[in-house]
Amino acid sequence: MTSTIPDLAEHLLGLDATSPLGQLRRQRAEILGHEEGTYRALVLPEDPGGVSLAERAALALRGALIERELPLAAHYRALLAATGEAAVIATAEIFPAPAGEDRLAVLFRYADMVAERPADCGQADIDRLTGFGLTPQDIVAVTQLVAFIPYQTRLLAGLRQLQQEPAA
Amino acid sequence: MTRFTLEEVGWEPRLPPVETASATPAQLAALEACPPAQRHSVYFRTLVHDPASLGERGALFTKVMYAPRGLPRAERELATAVVSIVNGCVYCASVHARRYVELSRQEAVMRALLEHGIEVQGLEPRQQAIVAYAASLTRNPAAATAAELAPLRKAGLSDLEILDLIHAVAMFANANRLMQALGRSLPPDGGEGSAPA
Repeated sequence: MTSTIPDLAEHLLGLDATSPLGQLRRQRAEILGHEEGTYRALVLPEDPGGVSLAERAALALRGALIERELPLAAHYRALLAATGEAAVIATAEIFPAPAGEDRLAVLFRYADMVAERPADCGQADIDRLTGFGLTPQDIVAVTQLVAFIPYQTRLLAGLRQLQQEPAA
Repeated sequence: MTRFTLEEVGWEPRLPPVETASATPAQLAALEACPPAQRHSVYFRTLVHDPASLGERGALFTKVMYAPRGLPRAERELATAVVSIVNGCVYCASVHARRYVELSRQEAVMRALLEHGIEVQGLEPRQQAIVAYAASLTRNPAAATAAELAPLRKAGLSDLEILDLIHAVAMFANANRLMQALGRSLPPDGGEGSAPA
């Protein structure tokens, strides 16, 4: 499914690469390419390490829902569904994240805090992830992923503004 | 009065950074792709635990901040300082406030923003339009409307300049969260040790 999507933002916006806004974006072709590359490195890595593709899709979905970026959320919901991991699918859209000390609950609480209240993050939050067997690579990947959804959200919001701007 | 400052603020990671001597080939390659002046910083050595995301996201950051033409670099720094103030990232605000001052020589403007916040009065119209847009897209992207572009247009921003501004604002929604989650700011004279290298 995703391999046929040349650019996630343009797919979600229904934006044609040859439109004036599509052409404008290609004046920053390297930025467009690295946006897509970052998305793939975080959400669709070849080697997901200790954070499964389902968990990654669920983290991205939660982030998009927190930002109220519904087309992006729908994209990640479909990615998550395609993994078929029932336990992750069942928990992914529960807000607030469940209490308790199971792995998904801890992962989701961390992700929600980074998305909504990053200034509240502390050493104990990182140590709790380590306690669940996440390696430094896993923790950096989770944090990079959760922090990238706010990028995607503001990119989409800004591009929509340009799309909808009345012609001068 | 304020916790934001133009002075150098340190940053201490919450994970042990990768030591260059024990880095894997993939980690070394990802560090090589980072800006030379910063590739050995504790920040990049922390992010390089996940080399694939550092490589792509680091390249994205460099292009957003330094790609030629379009929005002047000083104004990208203005926008990123404003985003960092809104998000409460003391470290990022200090770094990008200083870069703005270096590039624009408008120290009084930046000091006013750091001390009084983004509602400060008396900015030039173009500064005001950039500050207001950066704050609004940071706080509430879901409510963004095309009408918010009108002050930017009135101030003379081109299509490419607005696209660059969007990228800069989006980049710091990301950068602030990375910095705040993976480490903590060390105040310039807080007696908690000097800034890490």
